[in-house]
Amino acid sequence: MHGRLKVKSTEEQKEAKRIEQEKKLKLYTAATEEAFRKRKDGEYDDEALKVSGEILYRNSDFSTMWNFRKEIFLHMNDNKNEDELQELFDSELDFLEACLKYNPKSYGTWHHRCFVLDTMPRPDWEKELKLCNLFLQYDERNFHCWDYRRFIVKRSQVTPEAELEFTTNKISSNFSNYSSWHYRSKLLPFIHPDPSSPAGVKEDILLQEYEMVQNAFFTDPDDQSAWFYYRWLLGRGKKTVGINCVCCDKIHSKIIVSTTEPVLVPDTVELKVEVDGSHMPMTWRTASNNIGYSNLWISDIPEDFKISGSCTLTLTLGGSSTSCSCELLLQDDSTEECYFHKDTPAIWFRSELSAAATTTLKRELDSVKELHEMEPENKWVLLTSISLMKSLDSHSYEDTIMDELKTLETIDSHRTSYYRDLRSKYLTENILERTDLSKRCLRLRDVGLTVFYHAKLLPLLVELDLSNNRLTSLRDVRHIYCLQRLCVDDNQISKLQGLESIVHLKEISIRNNEIKREEEFQFLRKCPLVVVNIAGNPVCDSVNVNSVLRNILTGLKKIDDIKIS
Amino acid sequence: MSAPAPAQEFLKDKHVKFFKRCLQVLPPQYSSLDTSRMTIAFFALSGLDILDSLSEIEADRDNIINWIYSLQLLPDKQETNLDQCGFRGSSTLGNSSDPDKARKAPIPHDSGHIAMTYTALASLLILGDDLSRANKTSILAGLRKLQLQDGSFCPVPAGSENDMRFVYCASCISYILDDWAGIDMPRVLDYIQKSLSYDGAIGQGPGLESHGGSTFCAIASLFLMNQLEKIIPRKQLDRLQRWCILRQESGFQGRPNKPVDTCYSFWVGATLEILGIYDKTDFHCNRSFVLQTQDDIVGGFAKWPGHTPDALHAYFGVCGLSLLGEPGLKTLHPALNMTQRSVDHLETLHRKWRGQS
Repeated sequence: MHGRLKVKSTEEQKEAKRIEQEKKLKLYTAATEEAFRKRKDGEYDDEALKVSGEILYRNSDFSTMWNFRKEIFLHMNDNKNEDELQELFDSELDFLEACLKYNPKSYGTWHHRCFVLDTMPRPDWEKELKLCNLFLQYDERNFHCWDYRRFIVKRSQVTPEAELEFTTNKISSNFSNYSSWHYRSKLLPFIHPDPSSPAGVKEDILLQEYEMVQNAFFTDPDDQSAWFYYRWLLGRGKKTVGINCVCCDKIHSKIIVSTTEPVLVPDTVELKVEVDGSHMPMTWRTASNNIGYSNLWISDIPEDFKISGSCTLTLTLGGSSTSCSCELLLQDDSTEECYFHKDTPAIWFRSELSAAATTTLKRELDSVKELHEMEPENKWVLLTSISLMKSLDSHSYEDTIMDELKTLETIDSHRTSYYRDLRSKYLTENILERTDLSKRCLRLRDVGLTVFYHAKLLPLLVELDLSNNRLTSLRDVRHIYCLQRLCVDDNQISKLQGLESIVHLKEISIRNNEIKREEEFQFLRKCPLVVVNIAGNPVCDSVNVNSVLRNILTGLKKIDDIKIS
Repeated sequence: MSAPAPAQEFLKDKHVKFFKRCLQVLPPQYSSLDTSRMTIAFFALSGLDILDSLSEIEADRDNIINWIYSLQLLPDKQETNLDQCGFRGSSTLGNSSDPDKARKAPIPHDSGHIAMTYTALASLLILGDDLSRANKTSILAGLRKLQLQDGSFCPVPAGSENDMRFVYCASCISYILDDWAGIDMPRVLDYIQKSLSYDGAIGQGPGLESHGGSTFCAIASLFLMNQLEKIIPRKQLDRLQRWCILRQESGFQGRPNKPVDTCYSFWVGATLEILGIYDKTDFHCNRSFVLQTQDDIVGGFAKWPGHTPDALHAYFGVCGLSLLGEPGLKTLHPALNMTQRSVDHLETLHRKWRGQS
């Protein structure tokens, strides 16, 4: 019904068409009624096949009618001999082929064909495969036909190797056949499995695939099929999970844990806490209270569990493939103890590469760069080049990566904001890897950030400077549990949501932003704020900010550098 | 002087008339959809709701509600037919339009259809009904019967194809009824997880090619189940976002290397909205494409510019524009695929039901 081209017709044509359609409708309605009568009366005969067939040929979405047809065949299946049945089903396959030529994208018709093949005495799988070839010639992206093909392969003796060969041929005749590349991604790990590699495919086979896919994108660099497939081949492995940092906040009776990779507690890993050797029952939740993977987990210390005097707190993270633990020495008089893993965050955002993998990636990068020389404004080339450089060494390639993202912003204007966010992310990752976070202070000022990433890795920061960027939201700051001093001067922030749960926040500087409504200050209600800088926001022109803030924040000592008397 | 570019004006009144016509009489091209009249009614009603024009059909409101309830297959006295229950798409099979009569005189092979049950419940909510006549127990019993071993759903108890579309219908039905007992959750989650493809997006089932429509169905279902971040870890979500973002050419395409099509401004757009990054797309070009498919004589939207509009594309065209914040359109709830106003009504019902139980 969709996608009919508009055609202008004369009055005469219209009238003729109307009469013809009326006639068709009458026949259609009569046939439907007759079919239902026969089904009701249990008349599972040739006539029933004829009537239901007439309807289904025109309207293959009529699932009830297909079910009637199925019943007729099941009835005949019990009442005819094998040869009769074979002949009957053969003619049904011819009928279905005609239906498919009329509407090649009907779920009902393809589904019924599966039923016929599963029911008939001697299915000819070879013939079915040829039918698929034919329909994929008409439309190489018809996913109904691809799905049917996979059904045939599952049922018959067709080898996966033969199917791989089929995709090779399809791809050689047209590189842009996304469906063929997709099928290949399913076949390769099955034929040449290597569970230790990220794509699940043996190394020597991967090398062959690189060559094939390069042929494709050197021939037509604008075609995305090969690029998606290539990206999959180049995928890096999973990293092991470790403890990034831990904080025990005795005042608020909370334990905060950040892991190097997102985990699901307790489904994928267990987090156990012992105090001087005795088990402390915890109820872990994510910072945002969502059900799901997270780097950041929080639990209350149980009320009846007294931590007094000096003691040792041991936290163990255990999963199917990892197990690690850390210790915190809690002093009697301290309010808070923290733990930082000694190696963090040097390689948080990359997988360690073997020498062989490095050689491969370097060689692939060389080819992509070569293509980039010829096609400097091709977005797929740039996207892939950035991904490769990032896997190899995000620091030494930093300038090139940033330049290429800048180019993408210009040449692919539909996705400008997306590339700006990517740039923010990659830049933050590099800065984090170069920062000694045990100092609990991070400066990310004046680097053009549009989004603040990776807050879940930074719960122990006490001081954060995000001034002079292009941030519009503080949503993610809420993950920085220990934050006391925050500076976000000179951004485009209009909302203060995100600050409501930072129970340690003493100083905030939010000058020259876009805060317009005084209601936003309600998000600061629970913060023990002593210093607030708010000048240069539209809200300052419309309300008396001083009195509003003093009403909400009783401990306030200074607003915009002026002491409150 | 060169001729001015054709005005890209959103013709709200024409679309209101288009959807009103869909509720009354349809041209013969629609005859193949006779068995799924309920979905056409949903497109029209939800379309009018987004256009903030439900008042236009106020006089027919009760009639439409009664017609929808007449499509509900109710349990018989001994409850022997629970497996068959739900809503039908139309009265083509010949059931009585009086629910009580239909109940007393059952016709063979009569059963609900998962997509019709979903669109019927959604339409009732849009019309402000309180779902008090929906037989929850039997709808959930009917739903349970439709889940297959692999976790997916098929639409009718007599058997048919099964895929992600019907997983989405099952999720909407359960969310609306505020009861997930009709779904075996671990199995359906397993099905969705196995349908993740190498490119980061999601196919109609395990091993099948990624598609904008099935990706929406999977992501919206996970969102309604509150399981999105549990089933798809961050890095996979990043890849999924990349695949979706790269579907924009002017409007959106459903698969790589396919032409852009009005309805994907909703399917892919709503997915990106659920994932929280719809604002990273090019609104201007997207709006411009959708408006090119607008029919400025009869109203509605077509799949492609210059083609005949149809109910499905008219509806998703309006949805796409609502996601873009078109003035005069009501806000859309991206996962439930109806206005936030109707979802608010549903939340009120939920609070009432929970208070009572």
